Amino acid sequence: MQMNKKWLPYILVSPYILHFIVFVAFPVLFSLVLTFHEWNIISPMKYTGLSNYTKMFNDRMFWKSLTNTFKFLIIHIPLQIVVSLALAEFLNQNIKMKGFFRAAFFLPVIVSGVVVTILWQQLFGFDSGLFNRMLISIGFEKVGWLIDPKIAMGSIAIMATWKNVGLYVILFLVGLQTVPVHYYEAASIEGASHWQKFRKITLPMINPTIFMVVILSTIGGFSLFIEPYIMTGGGPLSSTMSSVLYIYKQAFQYFHMGYSVTLGFFFAMLILGVVVIQKKYIEQGDD
Amino acid sequence: MAFASCKKSNDQNNDTLLFWSSNNRGEIEFSEYFVKQWNANQETKIKFQPVPEGQSSEEVILASVVGKTTPDIYANMWQGSVEMYAKAGVLVPLDTLEGFTEFIKARCSKKVLKEITSSDGHIYQVPWKINPIMTIYNKRLLSDFGLSKLPNTYDEYFKAGEKIKADKDNDGYIDQWVGYTAVKVIWYERLMNFYPLYIAASDGGALIKDNKAAFNNEYGVGVFRFLQELYQKEYFSKERLTAGQDRFITEDLLTQWKGPWEIRHVDKFKQRDDFEFSFYPMQVPKEHNGPVYTYSDPKNIVVFNTCKQPQKAWNFIKTLIDKEGDKKLLEITTQLPNRKNLETEEFFQDYFEKNPKMKVFAKQANYLKGIDNCEVIVEVFDIISQEYEACVIYNKKTPEKAIEDAAKAVNNLLKN
Repeated sequence: MQMNKKWLPYILVSPYILHFIVFVAFPVLFSLVLTFHEWNIISPMKYTGLSNYTKMFNDRMFWKSLTNTFKFLIIHIPLQIVVSLALAEFLNQNIKMKGFFRAAFFLPVIVSGVVVTILWQQLFGFDSGLFNRMLISIGFEKVGWLIDPKIAMGSIAIMATWKNVGLYVILFLVGLQTVPVHYYEAASIEGASHWQKFRKITLPMINPTIFMVVILSTIGGFSLFIEPYIMTGGGPLSSTMSSVLYIYKQAFQYFHMGYSVTLGFFFAMLILGVVVIQKKYIEQGDD
Repeated sequence: MAFASCKKSNDQNNDTLLFWSSNNRGEIEFSEYFVKQWNANQETKIKFQPVPEGQSSEEVILASVVGKTTPDIYANMWQGSVEMYAKAGVLVPLDTLEGFTEFIKARCSKKVLKEITSSDGHIYQVPWKINPIMTIYNKRLLSDFGLSKLPNTYDEYFKAGEKIKADKDNDGYIDQWVGYTAVKVIWYERLMNFYPLYIAASDGGALIKDNKAAFNNEYGVGVFRFLQELYQKEYFSKERLTAGQDRFITEDLLTQWKGPWEIRHVDKFKQRDDFEFSFYPMQVPKEHNGPVYTYSDPKNIVVFNTCKQPQKAWNFIKTLIDKEGDKKLLEITTQLPNRKNLETEEFFQDYFEKNPKMKVFAKQANYLKGIDNCEVIVEVFDIISQEYEACVIYNKKTPEKAIEDAAKAVNNLLKN
């Protein structure tokens, strides 16, 4: 009995430990070793020292892909927050068919990313897409949604926002419903306008939710892959080449496993750094 | 794909050879036919299955190589992939097998044999089938627009482009073009536009020669200029027309660059019974003389070194590529065998008489080029594709500069 009690905790955590070793620790360590090697999967690994790292710092396309990813984040995160907060605020009112709207907003989240991307590709079509047809019908010029290098990343950000907005609406809705009603009642008695109540009560009260949405959108945005992979292949003129797409290309198109893993490591560190900075910034705001 | 890298099933023993074909319907039917025949007469049995599902057969094969679960025989290997696998030592050098060299010399031209010989002097692939890229055209549109002859040269093609360009629904935007080709930057799209045009202009010129870029010449520049002008003058659309309806079938395009697979596709989906189409060679500069070459899109058969009985595997492969096998390939899959004198050989004439559109491809089969033997050929095409996009589609570089930059990048790549 004593023996059993001593070993029981280890037995209970062993499935997780095993899972962690096989699917996390080993791949991470193996990848780290790989960053010092050249390997095309099918031939033996060749030790190359720090050459993958020096190659990374001189790889213009990698830095361009990083810039593209940040461009995407700059458009996507504010848009995501504004749209989802506005919709959550709308759903938080006494409106009819609230359940229907909640389900409708959430639907794109559960639809496959590939399906959504193909659907939006049709909508963004230059000659026959619905958006351009609508623009023409009201007397505007057609827009090269996916073929104009200046616009393509913005188009992808709009699509990604539409796809994910439902999830953040739910998060904001939960946040909004935790704000005590008597705060608003007191403010109303003092003559506060809707906007004042939103700025002075709602926003500070849902700050933790905003933080969570920013972090989730940032991590989600950094992993941008399916949309440019299917819609643009990284073009036009590499304007939608995201970092993850570039890492994928290095690994599975050119079989530069060592190099792609090096990029992956650097990218993971970068995400960690950005999230830590965001956390500090938002916490300072709280104080 | 995960299954491809998992352990082989237990029912596969030393007396059974595992054979994977591509998973298109015609090739499955073709493979099943020959496996059934073989198994009825031989002690060593063949177990057939189409290549497992994955994003692409190339990825599935790679996964199986990594997992050491490759089939014994694989039919449908892109010629450009073979060198990488050969260098990794996962393929059987077929020229070491009894009867291989004699058989293949009798079946294929010297040019094909040179093309498939690896840099170490061995042959790791059986040249199997080809799908030459040619220009498909709509016969009615050609006559409706008063074009008395096919637009064979760049200039003639521009003239046709000017005549055909139209805004049919009067919305201020072009919706009828002389042709269309994929604009996506992904490397393999260049196999359907830049590469066959380059081969046509240069009479089968190489992209890589003596481990250096060989396309920085008047032909490479000329092809980029030709394509750039097509987009600049709006004779081609920059939109991905393939995302919706097939615009050749809806008769919005006079031509496209396609292979023989398009015959069945158009016949199946055409919207009018009197829709007539045919094929002619790729466009060339006006000073070009003689026959017009094109890209053959070769797919070959390989034997992996996990095969315990490579000689028996070769004996089976022979049945797929002898005269009867090649005729069945034509009949069942509408693809051409990579065989010399296909156009003139008596044995195949009844097929071509019944299928005159395929006869055009058989004639073209005398003037083909496959892929240069280069381990990093995908990266070479990717580099060309990046410059193609900048120059041809977005007019950000002159053709001279784009080709020069591509050649420099390729030379850097090959140096490393």
